[in-house]
Amino acid sequence: MDQRQQIEELVYRSCLALDDGNYKGFLEMCDDSFRYTVTTYSPEIRKDMVWLDHDKPGMDTLFTNLPRHNSDHSPLTRHVTVYTSGVAGERAEVVSALQVFRTSLDGGGTGLFAVGRYLDTVKLGAGAPKLLKRVVRMVTRELGAGYHIPF
Amino acid sequence: MAKNSAEWGAKPKFPASHYVDSRIYTDQSVFDDEKEKLFKSSWIIACHESEIEKAYDYRLFTHPTGVPLIIVRGEDMKVRSFYNICPHRGNTILYDPAGNAKRMTCIFHAWSFDARGSCIDISRGEQGYQDRYCKEDAGLREVRAEVGFGGFVWVNLDDAGCTLKEYIGPALDMLEPHMQEPMEVFHFHKAVVDTNYKLWHDTNSEFYHDFVHYFNRITGMMQPGYFDRKYVGYPNGHASVGSMEIKYDAYAGSKKRAVGWPGLAPGGWILIDIFPGMTYNLRTSVLRIDTVVPLGPNKLMVEFRGLGLKSDTPEQRAERIFDHNTIWGPFGRNLHEDLLAVQGQGRAMHEGTDSRWVLHGREENSTIHDEVGMRHFYAEWSRRMGRPSYDPFGEGRPEPARAVA
Repeated sequence: MDQRQQIEELVYRSCLALDDGNYKGFLEMCDDSFRYTVTTYSPEIRKDMVWLDHDKPGMDTLFTNLPRHNSDHSPLTRHVTVYTSGVAGERAEVVSALQVFRTSLDGGGTGLFAVGRYLDTVKLGAGAPKLLKRVVRMVTRELGAGYHIPF
Repeated sequence: MAKNSAEWGAKPKFPASHYVDSRIYTDQSVFDDEKEKLFKSSWIIACHESEIEKAYDYRLFTHPTGVPLIIVRGEDMKVRSFYNICPHRGNTILYDPAGNAKRMTCIFHAWSFDARGSCIDISRGEQGYQDRYCKEDAGLREVRAEVGFGGFVWVNLDDAGCTLKEYIGPALDMLEPHMQEPMEVFHFHKAVVDTNYKLWHDTNSEFYHDFVHYFNRITGMMQPGYFDRKYVGYPNGHASVGSMEIKYDAYAGSKKRAVGWPGLAPGGWILIDIFPGMTYNLRTSVLRIDTVVPLGPNKLMVEFRGLGLKSDTPEQRAERIFDHNTIWGPFGRNLHEDLLAVQGQGRAMHEGTDSRWVLHGREENSTIHDEVGMRHFYAEWSRRMGRPSYDPFGEGRPEPARAVA
Protein backbone atom coordinates (compact mmCIF):
# COMPACT_ATOMS: atom_id res chain seq x y z
CA MET A 1 0.00 0.00 0.00
CA ASP A 2 1.46 3.37 -0.94
CA GLN A 3 1.73 6.26 1.51
CA ARG A 4 -1.30 8.17 0.20
CA GLN A 5 -3.38 5.02 0.51
CA GLN A 6 -2.14 4.45 4.07
CA ILE A 7 -3.06 7.99 5.06
CA GLU A 8 -6.51 7.77 3.52
CA GLU A 9 -7.14 4.42 5.17
CA LEU A 10 -6.21 5.84 8.57
CA VAL A 11 -8.75 8.66 8.16
CA TYR A 12 -11.44 6.28 6.98
CA ARG A 13 -10.73 3.69 9.67
CA SER A 14 -10.92 6.39 12.33
CA CYS A 15 -14.45 7.18 11.14
CA LEU A 16 -15.46 3.53 11.12
CA ALA A 17 -14.21 3.16 14.69
CA LEU A 18 -16.16 6.21 15.89
CA ASP A 19 -19.28 5.13 13.97
CA ASP A 20 -19.07 1.74 15.65
CA GLY A 21 -18.50 3.19 19.13
CA ASN A 22 -15.10 1.51 19.12
CA TYR A 23 -13.41 4.27 21.10
CA LYS A 24 -10.52 2.09 22.20
CA GLY A 25 -9.89 1.29 18.55
CA PHE A 26 -10.03 4.98 17.67
CA LEU A 27 -7.55 5.93 20.37
CA GLU A 28 -5.19 3.19 19.19
CA MET A 29 -4.96 5.06 15.89
CA CYS A 30 -3.85 8.18 17.76
CA ASP A 31 -0.31 9.08 18.78
CA ASP A 32 0.32 9.65 22.49
CA SER A 33 0.59 13.38 21.80
CA PHE A 34 -2.78 13.38 19.99
CA ARG A 35 -4.92 16.50 20.27
CA TYR A 36 -8.56 16.70 19.22
CA THR A 37 -10.25 20.05 18.70
CA VAL A 38 -13.62 21.15 17.39
CA THR A 39 -13.60 24.69 16.04
CA THR A 40 -15.92 26.90 14.08
CA TYR A 41 -16.37 30.51 13.07
CA SER A 42 -19.33 32.49 14.33
CA PRO A 43 -20.54 35.17 11.91
CA GLU A 44 -22.74 36.39 14.77
CA ILE A 45 -19.91 37.38 17.10
CA ARG A 46 -17.35 37.48 14.28
CA LYS A 47 -14.95 35.24 16.13
CA ASP A 48 -13.38 31.83 15.86
CA MET A 49 -14.63 29.54 18.57
CA VAL A 50 -13.32 26.36 20.14
CA TRP A 51 -16.11 23.97 21.05
CA LEU A 52 -14.02 21.08 22.34
CA ASP A 53 -10.33 20.61 23.00
CA HIS A 54 -8.79 17.47 24.48
CA ASP A 55 -5.52 15.62 24.55
CA LYS A 56 -5.47 11.84 24.34
CA PRO A 57 -6.11 11.22 28.06
CA GLY A 58 -8.90 13.80 27.89
CA MET A 59 -10.52 11.95 25.01
CA ASP A 60 -10.15 8.69 26.89
CA THR A 61 -11.93 10.21 29.91
CA LEU A 62 -14.64 11.64 27.70
CA PHE A 63 -15.32 8.21 26.24
CA THR A 64 -15.09 6.47 29.62
CA ASN A 65 -17.59 8.85 31.17
CA LEU A 66 -20.14 8.48 28.38
CA PRO A 67 -22.19 5.69 30.04
CA ARG A 68 -22.57 7.83 33.18
CA HIS A 69 -24.36 10.57 31.26
CA ASN A 70 -27.80 10.85 29.70
CA SER A 71 -27.21 11.07 25.98
CA ASP A 72 -28.96 10.97 22.65
CA HIS A 73 -28.30 7.40 21.53
CA SER A 74 -29.14 7.97 17.87
CA PRO A 75 -26.18 6.55 15.96
CA LEU A 76 -24.01 8.78 13.81
CA THR A 77 -22.60 7.90 10.42
CA ARG A 78 -19.58 9.85 9.26
CA HIS A 79 -19.03 10.24 5.55
CA VAL A 80 -15.58 11.45 4.73
CA THR A 81 -13.72 12.12 1.51
CA VAL A 82 -10.02 12.86 1.67
CA TYR A 83 -9.46 15.89 -0.51
CA THR A 84 -5.78 16.67 -0.12
CA SER A 85 -2.78 15.10 1.53
CA GLY A 86 0.50 16.99 1.75
CA VAL A 87 3.50 15.09 3.04
CA ALA A 88 6.44 16.94 4.58
CA GLY A 89 9.09 14.71 6.12
CA GLU A 90 7.45 12.39 8.61
CA ARG A 91 4.18 14.27 8.74
CA ALA A 92 1.19 14.66 6.47
CA GLU A 93 -1.41 17.39 6.55
CA VAL A 94 -4.70 15.94 5.40
CA VAL A 95 -7.86 17.82 4.53
CA SER A 96 -11.08 15.86 4.28
CA ALA A 97 -14.70 16.77 3.71
CA LEU A 98 -16.94 15.60 6.53
CA GLN A 99 -20.64 14.92 6.60
CA VAL A 100 -22.30 13.53 9.70
CA PHE A 101 -25.68 11.84 9.47
CA ARG A 102 -27.87 10.94 12.41
CA THR A 103 -30.33 8.06 12.36
CA SER A 104 -33.24 7.97 14.76
CA LEU A 105 -33.60 4.86 16.87
CA ASP A 106 -37.38 4.89 16.51
CA GLY A 107 -38.17 4.37 12.84
CA GLY A 108 -34.65 4.75 11.52
CA GLY A 109 -35.05 8.00 9.66
CA THR A 110 -31.72 9.52 8.70
CA GLY A 111 -30.99 13.21 8.46
CA LEU A 112 -27.93 15.31 7.84
CA PHE A 113 -26.63 16.45 11.23
CA ALA A 114 -23.53 18.45 10.39
CA VAL A 115 -21.00 19.28 7.72
CA GLY A 116 -17.44 20.45 8.04
CA ARG A 117 -13.89 19.32 7.47
CA TYR A 118 -11.31 17.17 9.15
CA LEU A 119 -7.94 18.90 9.27
CA ASP A 120 -5.71 16.01 10.30
CA THR A 121 -2.01 15.87 11.03
CA VAL A 122 -0.70 12.36 10.52
CA LYS A 123 2.55 10.98 11.88
CA LEU A 124 4.38 8.85 9.34
CA GLY A 125 7.54 6.81 9.63
CA ALA A 126 8.12 3.28 10.76
CA GLY A 127 4.98 1.32 11.44
CA ALA A 128 1.40 2.32 10.81
CA PRO A 129 0.60 6.05 10.47
CA LYS A 130 -1.01 7.64 13.51
CA LEU A 131 -3.17 10.66 14.09
CA LEU A 132 -1.20 13.44 15.76
CA LYS A 133 -3.91 16.04 15.58
CA ARG A 134 -7.49 16.27 14.42
CA VAL A 135 -9.24 19.60 14.05
CA VAL A 136 -12.91 19.21 13.23
CA ARG A 137 -13.68 22.46 11.48
CA MET A 138 -17.44 22.75 11.71
CA VAL A 139 -19.50 24.58 9.15
CA THR A 140 -22.76 23.57 10.83
CA ARG A 141 -23.29 25.36 14.12
CA GLU A 142 -26.90 24.60 14.93
CA LEU A 143 -26.91 21.12 16.42
CA GLY A 144 -30.29 21.07 18.15
CA ALA A 145 -29.82 19.42 21.52
CA GLY A 146 -26.14 18.82 20.75
CA TYR A 147 -24.33 15.52 21.13
CA HIS A 148 -21.99 13.89 23.63
CA ILE A 149 -19.79 12.00 21.20
CA PRO A 150 -17.29 14.01 19.19
CA PHE A 151 -17.41 13.94 15.41
CA MET B 1 -51.21 2.59 41.48
CA ALA B 2 -51.89 3.37 37.84
CA LYS B 3 -54.73 5.78 37.01
CA ASN B 4 -57.76 5.58 34.78
CA SER B 5 -58.79 8.45 32.50
CA ALA B 6 -60.79 10.36 35.13
CA GLU B 7 -58.06 10.01 37.72
CA TRP B 8 -55.43 11.13 35.22
CA GLY B 9 -57.46 14.24 34.44
CA ALA B 10 -58.33 15.10 38.05
CA LYS B 11 -56.64 18.18 39.42
CA PRO B 12 -53.58 17.44 41.55
CA LYS B 13 -53.83 17.35 45.35
CA PHE B 14 -51.87 20.57 45.72
CA PRO B 15 -52.77 24.21 46.13
CA ALA B 16 -53.40 25.78 42.74
CA SER B 17 -50.08 27.63 42.88
CA HIS B 18 -48.29 24.28 42.92
CA TYR B 19 -49.24 22.95 39.48
CA VAL B 20 -50.02 24.23 36.01
CA ASP B 21 -52.30 23.10 33.22
CA SER B 22 -49.97 21.62 30.61
CA ARG B 23 -51.90 23.38 27.83
CA ILE B 24 -50.03 26.56 28.71
CA TYR B 25 -47.09 24.85 27.01
CA THR B 26 -48.92 23.69 23.93
CA ASP B 27 -51.84 25.93 23.04
CA GLN B 28 -51.42 28.31 20.09
CA SER B 29 -53.75 30.95 21.54
CA VAL B 30 -51.80 31.01 24.81
CA PHE B 31 -48.59 31.33 22.83
CA ASP B 32 -49.95 34.24 20.79
CA ASP B 33 -51.14 35.89 23.99
CA GLU B 34 -47.69 35.52 25.57
CA LYS B 35 -46.03 37.39 22.72
CA GLU B 36 -48.40 40.30 23.20
CA LYS B 37 -48.68 40.37 26.98
CA LEU B 38 -45.25 39.17 28.11
CA PHE B 39 -42.57 39.58 25.50
CA LYS B 40 -43.72 42.79 23.85
CA SER B 41 -43.39 44.78 27.06
CA SER B 42 -40.45 42.98 28.70
CA TRP B 43 -36.81 43.98 28.55
CA ILE B 44 -34.98 41.33 26.53
CA ILE B 45 -31.24 40.74 26.07
CA ALA B 46 -30.43 41.22 22.39
CA CYS B 47 -26.63 40.98 22.52
CA HIS B 48 -23.59 42.09 24.49
CA GLU B 49 -21.75 45.37 24.05
CA SER B 50 -18.57 43.49 23.12
CA GLU B 51 -20.33 42.31 19.95
CA ILE B 52 -20.68 45.90 18.71
CA GLU B 53 -17.51 47.56 19.98
CA LYS B 54 -16.80 50.07 17.23
CA ALA B 55 -18.89 52.87 15.75
CA TYR B 56 -21.30 51.51 13.12
CA ASP B 57 -20.92 47.92 14.35
CA TYR B 58 -24.28 46.23 14.20
CA ARG B 59 -25.87 42.99 15.30
CA LEU B 60 -29.18 41.46 14.25
CA PHE B 61 -31.60 39.95 16.74
CA THR B 62 -34.91 38.23 16.23
CA HIS B 63 -37.06 39.48 19.09
CA PRO B 64 -39.17 36.80 20.83
CA THR B 65 -42.29 38.42 19.34
CA GLY B 66 -40.83 37.74 15.90
CA VAL B 67 -39.84 41.34 15.16
CA PRO B 68 -36.44 41.51 13.37
CA LEU B 69 -34.20 44.05 15.03
CA ILE B 70 -30.95 45.83 14.24
CA ILE B 71 -28.75 46.77 17.18
CA VAL B 72 -26.25 49.39 16.06
CA ARG B 73 -23.65 51.60 17.69
CA GLY B 74 -23.74 55.14 16.38
CA GLU B 75 -20.86 57.47 15.63
CA ASP B 76 -21.62 58.95 19.08
CA MET B 77 -21.04 55.40 20.50
CA LYS B 78 -24.63 55.22 21.68
CA VAL B 79 -26.36 51.90 21.11
CA ARG B 80 -29.73 52.08 19.39
CA SER B 81 -32.17 49.54 18.04
CA PHE B 82 -34.48 49.64 15.03
CA TYR B 83 -36.80 47.31 13.17
CA ASN B 84 -34.85 45.59 10.42
CA ILE B 85 -37.72 46.45 8.09
CA CYS B 86 -37.47 48.95 5.27
CA PRO B 87 -40.32 51.47 5.49
CA HIS B 88 -40.60 51.41 1.69
CA ARG B 89 -41.63 47.89 0.67
CA GLY B 90 -41.11 46.02 3.91
CA ASN B 91 -37.89 44.33 2.90
CA THR B 92 -35.10 43.20 5.19
CA ILE B 93 -32.45 45.92 5.34
CA LEU B 94 -29.46 44.05 6.77
CA TYR B 95 -28.93 40.37 6.07
CA ASP B 96 -25.66 39.34 7.71
CA PRO B 97 -26.06 38.67 11.46
CA ALA B 98 -23.30 41.15 12.34
CA GLY B 99 -21.08 43.65 10.63
CA ASN B 100 -20.16 47.30 10.31
CA ALA B 101 -22.36 49.58 8.25
CA LYS B 102 -21.97 53.35 8.14
CA ARG B 103 -24.95 53.38 5.82
CA MET B 104 -27.57 50.70 6.12
CA THR B 105 -28.82 50.29 2.58
CA CYS B 106 -31.77 48.17 1.56
CA ILE B 107 -30.67 46.00 -1.37
CA PHE B 108 -34.13 46.13 -2.95
CA HIS B 109 -34.37 49.81 -3.99
CA ALA B 110 -31.25 51.28 -2.32
CA TRP B 111 -32.94 53.38 0.34
CA SER B 112 -30.26 54.20 2.93
CA PHE B 113 -30.40 54.82 6.66
CA ASP B 114 -27.88 56.03 9.22
CA ALA B 115 -27.14 54.64 12.69
CA ARG B 116 -29.68 57.03 14.22
CA GLY B 117 -32.48 55.52 12.14
CA SER B 118 -32.82 58.48 9.80
CA CYS B 119 -33.32 57.91 6.12
CA ILE B 120 -30.39 59.55 4.33
CA ASP B 121 -31.20 58.66 0.77
CA ILE B 122 -34.22 57.69 -1.29
CA SER B 123 -32.96 56.69 -4.69
CA ARG B 124 -34.59 58.88 -7.37
CA GLY B 125 -36.78 60.27 -4.61
CA GLU B 126 -37.77 63.56 -6.18
CA GLN B 127 -38.56 61.98 -9.53
CA GLY B 128 -40.94 59.49 -7.99
CA TYR B 129 -42.41 61.25 -4.98
CA GLN B 130 -42.03 64.92 -6.04
CA ASP B 131 -42.86 66.85 -2.84
CA ARG B 132 -45.34 64.26 -1.52
CA TYR B 133 -42.85 62.10 0.42
CA CYS B 134 -39.25 62.71 1.43
CA LYS B 135 -36.39 61.32 3.56
CA GLU B 136 -37.86 62.85 6.70
CA ASP B 137 -40.96 60.71 6.24
CA ALA B 138 -38.98 57.49 5.97
CA GLY B 139 -37.28 56.96 9.34
CA LEU B 140 -36.83 53.50 10.82
CA ARG B 141 -38.99 52.38 13.73
CA GLU B 142 -36.79 52.85 16.80
CA VAL B 143 -37.05 50.47 19.74
CA ARG B 144 -35.97 51.35 23.25
CA ALA B 145 -32.47 50.03 23.95
CA GLU B 146 -30.34 50.24 27.07
CA VAL B 147 -26.94 48.84 27.98
CA GLY B 148 -26.59 47.53 31.48
CA PHE B 149 -26.24 44.72 34.00
CA GLY B 150 -22.93 43.39 32.74
CA GLY B 151 -22.83 45.35 29.49
CA PHE B 152 -25.74 43.57 27.86
CA VAL B 153 -27.88 45.35 25.29
CA TRP B 154 -31.51 45.13 26.32
CA VAL B 155 -34.42 46.04 24.08
CA ASN B 156 -38.08 46.74 24.79
CA LEU B 157 -40.74 47.04 22.08
CA ASP B 158 -43.09 48.95 24.37
CA ASP B 159 -42.46 52.69 24.03
CA ALA B 160 -44.25 53.47 27.27
CA GLY B 161 -43.12 50.76 29.69
CA CYS B 162 -40.84 50.94 32.69
CA THR B 163 -37.09 51.52 32.53
CA LEU B 164 -34.64 48.63 32.46
CA LYS B 165 -33.56 49.50 36.00
CA GLU B 166 -37.14 49.38 37.22
CA TYR B 167 -37.74 46.11 35.38
CA ILE B 168 -34.74 44.32 36.89
CA GLY B 169 -35.12 45.83 40.36
CA PRO B 170 -32.89 44.08 42.91
CA ALA B 171 -32.82 40.77 41.01
CA LEU B 172 -29.23 41.08 39.80
CA ASP B 173 -27.81 42.64 42.98
CA MET B 174 -26.10 39.36 43.89
CA LEU B 175 -24.20 39.41 40.59
CA GLU B 176 -23.43 43.11 40.33
CA PRO B 177 -20.15 42.91 42.33
CA HIS B 178 -18.98 40.23 39.88
CA MET B 179 -19.81 42.23 36.75
CA GLN B 180 -17.72 45.33 37.34
CA GLU B 181 -14.92 44.41 34.95
CA PRO B 182 -15.56 44.66 31.20
CA MET B 183 -16.56 41.31 29.75
CA GLU B 184 -16.36 39.79 26.30
CA VAL B 185 -18.39 37.14 24.49
CA PHE B 186 -16.21 34.22 23.39
CA HIS B 187 -18.95 31.71 22.66
CA PHE B 188 -22.23 31.96 20.81
CA HIS B 189 -24.50 29.29 19.48
CA LYS B 190 -28.17 28.76 18.89
CA ALA B 191 -30.06 25.58 19.64
CA VAL B 192 -33.45 24.86 18.10
CA VAL B 193 -35.44 22.20 19.92
CA ASP B 194 -39.03 20.98 19.93
CA THR B 195 -40.29 22.28 23.24
CA ASN B 196 -41.97 25.29 24.83
CA TYR B 197 -39.81 28.20 25.96
CA LYS B 198 -41.19 28.05 29.50
CA LEU B 199 -39.98 24.49 29.89
CA TRP B 200 -36.45 25.71 29.21
CA HIS B 201 -36.84 28.55 31.68
CA ASP B 202 -38.37 26.10 34.19
CA THR B 203 -35.24 23.98 33.89
CA ASN B 204 -33.18 27.03 34.73
CA SER B 205 -35.53 27.73 37.65
CA GLU B 206 -35.22 24.44 39.51
CA PHE B 207 -32.26 22.31 40.49
CA TYR B 208 -34.20 19.19 41.37
CA HIS B 209 -33.37 18.19 37.79
CA ASP B 210 -29.70 17.85 38.81
CA PHE B 211 -30.60 14.16 38.81
CA VAL B 212 -30.28 14.29 35.00
CA HIS B 213 -26.67 15.53 35.30
CA TYR B 214 -24.02 13.07 36.40
CA PHE B 215 -21.60 16.00 36.50
CA ASN B 216 -23.77 18.02 38.91
CA ARG B 217 -24.56 15.03 41.10
CA ILE B 218 -20.91 14.21 41.58
CA THR B 219 -19.52 17.75 41.81
CA GLY B 220 -22.49 19.41 43.52
CA MET B 221 -25.24 17.31 45.02
CA MET B 222 -22.84 15.03 46.85
CA GLN B 223 -20.88 17.97 48.29
CA PRO B 224 -21.45 19.93 51.50
CA GLY B 225 -23.47 23.12 51.09
CA TYR B 226 -25.45 21.93 48.09
CA PHE B 227 -28.74 21.63 49.97
CA ASP B 228 -28.21 25.03 51.63
CA ARG B 229 -28.60 26.98 48.39
CA LYS B 230 -31.73 29.09 48.58
CA TYR B 231 -34.12 30.55 46.05
CA VAL B 232 -35.08 34.19 46.34
CA GLY B 233 -37.94 35.62 44.34
CA TYR B 234 -37.94 39.25 43.16
CA PRO B 235 -40.58 41.54 41.70
CA ASN B 236 -41.51 41.04 38.03
CA GLY B 237 -41.00 37.27 38.18
CA HIS B 238 -37.21 37.16 38.49
CA ALA B 239 -35.52 34.68 40.86
CA SER B 240 -32.05 33.73 42.04
CA VAL B 241 -30.27 30.75 43.53
CA GLY B 242 -27.46 31.39 45.98
CA SER B 243 -23.87 30.31 45.59
CA MET B 244 -22.08 27.12 46.52
CA GLU B 245 -18.67 25.66 45.85
CA ILE B 246 -18.46 23.12 43.06
CA LYS B 247 -15.95 20.30 43.61
CA TYR B 248 -14.71 19.94 40.06
CA ASP B 249 -12.06 17.43 40.99
CA ALA B 250 -14.81 14.97 41.97
CA TYR B 251 -15.48 14.39 38.24
CA ALA B 252 -13.03 11.93 36.67
CA GLY B 253 -10.66 13.74 34.35
CA SER B 254 -11.51 17.12 35.84
CA LYS B 255 -9.47 19.15 38.27
CA LYS B 256 -9.68 22.14 40.56
CA ARG B 257 -10.04 25.25 38.42
CA ALA B 258 -7.41 27.98 38.55
CA VAL B 259 -8.78 31.05 36.79
CA GLY B 260 -11.91 31.85 38.78
CA TRP B 261 -13.95 35.04 38.53
CA PRO B 262 -13.58 38.42 40.27
CA GLY B 263 -15.07 38.29 43.73
CA LEU B 264 -16.50 34.80 43.31
CA ALA B 265 -15.36 32.12 45.72
CA PRO B 266 -13.33 29.38 43.99
CA GLY B 267 -15.75 26.97 42.35
CA GLY B 268 -18.62 29.37 43.10
CA TRP B 269 -21.94 29.32 41.29
CA ILE B 270 -24.69 31.95 41.10
CA LEU B 271 -27.75 31.62 38.89
CA ILE B 272 -30.35 34.32 38.28
CA ASP B 273 -33.44 33.95 36.11
CA ILE B 274 -34.90 37.03 34.47
CA PHE B 275 -38.54 36.91 33.46
CA PRO B 276 -39.73 35.77 30.96
CA GLY B 277 -36.80 33.81 29.54
CA MET B 278 -33.26 34.90 30.27
CA THR B 279 -30.71 33.43 32.65
CA TYR B 280 -27.44 34.68 34.09
CA ASN B 281 -25.39 31.66 35.07
CA LEU B 282 -22.01 32.45 36.63
CA ARG B 283 -20.08 29.32 37.41
CA THR B 284 -16.41 29.24 38.42
CA SER B 285 -14.81 31.04 35.48
CA VAL B 286 -17.54 31.67 32.95
CA LEU B 287 -20.71 33.70 32.72
CA ARG B 288 -23.30 31.96 30.57
CA ILE B 289 -26.32 33.86 29.31
CA ASP B 290 -29.41 32.16 27.89
CA THR B 291 -31.98 34.10 25.88
CA VAL B 292 -35.09 32.28 24.72
CA VAL B 293 -36.61 33.08 21.37
CA PRO B 294 -39.87 31.11 21.15
CA LEU B 295 -40.68 29.99 17.60
CA GLY B 296 -44.00 28.31 18.35
CA PRO B 297 -45.82 26.62 21.22
CA ASN B 298 -43.58 23.59 20.79
CA LYS B 299 -40.57 25.09 19.02
CA LEU B 300 -37.83 27.01 20.76
CA MET B 301 -34.59 28.66 19.84
CA VAL B 302 -32.19 29.44 22.67
CA GLU B 303 -29.25 31.78 22.18
CA PHE B 304 -26.31 30.74 24.34
CA ARG B 305 -23.44 33.05 25.14
CA GLY B 306 -20.26 32.39 27.08
CA LEU B 307 -18.35 35.35 28.47
CA GLY B 308 -14.94 35.91 29.98
CA LEU B 309 -13.12 39.05 31.02
CA LYS B 310 -11.88 41.46 28.41
CA SER B 311 -8.57 41.58 30.30
CA ASP B 312 -7.97 37.82 29.94
CA THR B 313 -4.56 36.59 28.93
CA PRO B 314 -4.63 33.90 26.21
CA GLU B 315 -4.01 31.28 28.90
CA GLN B 316 -6.85 32.54 31.09
CA ARG B 317 -9.20 32.67 28.13
CA ALA B 318 -8.26 29.15 27.10
CA GLU B 319 -9.14 27.86 30.57
CA ARG B 320 -12.49 29.66 30.55
CA ILE B 321 -13.26 28.18 27.15
CA PHE B 322 -12.32 24.73 28.40
CA ASP B 323 -14.51 25.16 31.49
CA HIS B 324 -17.38 26.39 29.36
CA ASN B 325 -17.15 23.59 26.84
CA THR B 326 -16.88 20.84 29.42
CA ILE B 327 -20.43 21.36 30.59
CA TRP B 328 -22.08 24.05 28.46
CA GLY B 329 -20.81 23.75 24.88
CA PRO B 330 -22.78 21.95 22.15
CA PHE B 331 -20.71 18.86 23.04
CA GLY B 332 -20.77 19.66 26.77
CA ARG B 333 -21.91 17.20 29.40
CA ASN B 334 -24.76 19.25 30.90
CA LEU B 335 -26.23 21.32 28.11
CA HIS B 336 -27.00 18.27 25.99
CA GLU B 337 -28.74 16.63 28.96
CA ASP B 338 -30.82 19.74 29.69
CA LEU B 339 -31.86 20.10 26.06
CA LEU B 340 -32.68 16.39 25.80
CA ALA B 341 -34.84 16.69 28.90
CA VAL B 342 -36.90 19.66 27.71
CA GLN B 343 -37.21 18.09 24.27
CA GLY B 344 -38.57 15.01 26.01
CA GLN B 345 -41.14 17.23 27.75
CA GLY B 346 -42.09 18.69 24.37
CA ARG B 347 -42.52 15.22 22.95
CA ALA B 348 -44.67 14.01 25.84
CA MET B 349 -46.68 17.19 26.17
CA HIS B 350 -47.47 18.46 22.69
CA GLU B 351 -51.08 18.87 21.65
CA GLY B 352 -52.96 15.58 21.51
CA THR B 353 -50.83 13.60 23.94
CA ASP B 354 -53.37 13.94 26.80
CA SER B 355 -50.77 15.40 29.09
CA ARG B 356 -52.79 17.30 31.69
CA TRP B 357 -50.85 18.71 34.62
CA VAL B 358 -47.30 19.68 35.47
CA LEU B 359 -46.43 19.66 39.16
CA HIS B 360 -44.46 22.39 40.91
CA GLY B 361 -45.26 21.06 44.36
CA ARG B 362 -41.93 20.52 46.12
CA GLU B 363 -41.50 22.50 49.31
CA GLU B 364 -38.12 22.37 51.05
CA ASN B 365 -37.86 25.73 52.78
CA SER B 366 -36.95 27.39 49.46
CA THR B 367 -33.73 25.38 49.25
CA ILE B 368 -32.20 23.89 46.14
CA HIS B 369 -34.79 21.15 45.40
CA ASP B 370 -37.78 23.32 46.30
CA GLU B 371 -39.86 24.26 43.24
CA VAL B 372 -40.59 27.75 44.48
CA GLY B 373 -38.60 29.28 41.62
CA MET B 374 -41.14 27.99 39.11
CA ARG B 375 -44.07 28.93 41.35
CA HIS B 376 -42.71 32.45 41.51
CA PHE B 377 -42.46 32.59 37.71
CA TYR B 378 -46.03 31.34 37.19
CA ALA B 379 -47.47 33.77 39.72
CA GLU B 380 -46.08 36.60 37.56
CA TRP B 381 -47.05 34.81 34.34
CA SER B 382 -50.66 34.48 35.56
CA ARG B 383 -50.78 38.11 36.64
CA ARG B 384 -49.52 39.47 33.35
CA MET B 385 -51.47 37.05 31.17
CA GLY B 386 -54.70 37.68 33.04
CA ARG B 387 -55.32 33.96 33.27
CA PRO B 388 -54.17 31.53 35.93
CA SER B 389 -51.58 29.01 34.83
CA TYR B 390 -53.53 26.26 36.62
CA ASP B 391 -56.75 27.12 34.74
CA PRO B 392 -55.80 29.08 31.60
CA PHE B 393 -59.18 28.71 29.89
CA GLY B 394 -61.40 29.45 32.89
CA GLU B 395 -62.94 26.00 32.94
CA GLY B 396 -63.09 25.64 36.68
CA ARG B 397 -61.61 27.35 39.67
CA PRO B 398 -59.63 25.24 42.05
CA GLU B 399 -59.15 26.58 45.54
CA PRO B 400 -57.33 29.93 45.76
CA ALA B 401 -53.58 29.83 45.42
CA ARG B 402 -51.50 30.09 48.54
CA ALA B 403 -49.17 32.98 48.77
CA VAL B 404 -45.91 32.10 47.03
CA ALA B 405 -42.91 32.02 49.33
